[in-house]
Amino acid sequence: MKLHLKIKRFNPEIDKKPYWGEYDIEVDEMDRVLDALQEVKWTVDGTLALRRSCAHGICGSDAMRINGRNRLACKCLIKDEIKNGQITVEPILGLKVQKDMIVDMEPFFAHYRSVLPFLVNKDPLPENGRERLQTIADRERFDDTTKCILCACCTTSCPSFWARGEYVGPAAIVQAHRFIFDSRDQAAQERLEVLSEVDGVWRCRTVFNCTDACPRGIEVTKAIGEVKAALRTGIIA
Amino acid sequence: MLNGLVTTVREGARYKGESNQWMWIAHRISGLGVLLFLVTHISGMSFSYFNPKVHEALIEIYKTPLFSVGELFLAACLVFHAINGTRIALLELKPEWWSEQHKATRASLLITFVLGAPTLVIMAWKSLSFYLATGR
Ligand code: FES
Repeated sequence: MKLHLKIKRFNPEIDKKPYWGEYDIEVDEMDRVLDALQEVKWTVDGTLALRRSCAHGICGSDAMRINGRNRLACKCLIKDEIKNGQITVEPILGLKVQKDMIVDMEPFFAHYRSVLPFLVNKDPLPENGRERLQTIADRERFDDTTKCILCACCTTSCPSFWARGEYVGPAAIVQAHRFIFDSRDQAAQERLEVLSEVDGVWRCRTVFNCTDACPRGIEVTKAIGEVKAALRTGIIA
Repeated sequence: MLNGLVTTVREGARYKGESNQWMWIAHRISGLGVLLFLVTHISGMSFSYFNPKVHEALIEIYKTPLFSVGELFLAACLVFHAINGTRIALLELKPEWWSEQHKATRASLLITFVLGAPTLVIMAWKSLSFYLATGR
C-alpha cells in the first residue's frame, strides 16, 4: 500500500527552524512505522537521523511522537496508525533536538541517576554467598515498575516536564518506585528525600499522559501515586 | 523556563494526550480565573476600609454587563475547579483507582454541569432582570 509519511526534520547546523519532510513510499500494512522510516532513510533520503537498535521494543531507543502521541516506532503497525494514507512523525517533546528524531537524552538520564536506580543493601551477603531472598509476594510488589526500558515516552508526554525540565519526571519516579518497594533495598528514605524536593513527585498533576504513552503498559500514574502516598504517610507498603 | 512555556503552549496543545490532558488545561485556566477574582475581590474590599468612596465606585462598576458576564465565568470556573480538584485529590489518595480515570473524568464533568448549569441560569436571570428593571 501507499503511505504518505510526514516527518518533522531539523538539522540545527543548517536549518533555521524545523520543517516537514514529506515522503511517499510503498509499504506493507503489517510493517511497522520503524520500517517506513528506514525505507525513507535507506532509499529516499540518507540524511534522515533516528535512533534504533533492537527493533523489538526492548532497547527503548526509538521513542517518537507518532500521530501526535509518544510511541516506539518499532511497536506501531502501519495499519493501526495510518489515517487517510498518512502518518506523522515528530521527535519527543521537552528534550533538545540534536537532529531530526534524535534528542539529547542526557537531562533525562541525569534525572534517572538522581533517584539512585540501583539496589542498596549494606548487610553482609547471605552465608551461602548466593542471592538475597524475598517472598513471591514481596517480588510481586514492584513487578510492574521493573518493566521500564528508559525510552522516555512517559517523561516527554508529561505537561509538567514540558513546562519545567528540572522535574524528575515519570520515568525516574518509576525507577525509584522499583527500588523503594523492594524488600531487599535499604535506601528508600534517600530516594524519597530526592522525590520530596520541589522538582520531585509533587510536580505530577495526575494528567495520565504517561500511563497512555508507556509502551510497556506500566501503570505509571499509579506508581507515582504510590510514591506520593509513601511520602504522605511515611509508610512504605 | 521560557522555553518550557513555549513548548507547553505551542506543542503541548498539539500532543494527543489523554482526555485528562484537557482537564488539566481547563483546571489551570479555571484556577487562574479564580485567582483573578480573589485578587480583585480582596483588593476591592480593602478599599471599604482605606477609602470607602473608591469602594462605592467599584461596587457601581461591578454592576455593569462586563462584570456580570465575568461573574458567570467565575462561577463556572469555581464549580469546575472544585469538582475537578476533588477528582484529582481522590485519584492521588487512591492510586489503585487509576483504571477508572475516564469514568472519574466523565463523572466530574457531569457533576460540574448539574451543579453549574442551574447556578449560571439563576445568576444570568438575576442580572438580566436587574438591567431590564434599571434600564442600564
Ligand atoms: S528499537 Fe529498540 S525499542 Fe524500538
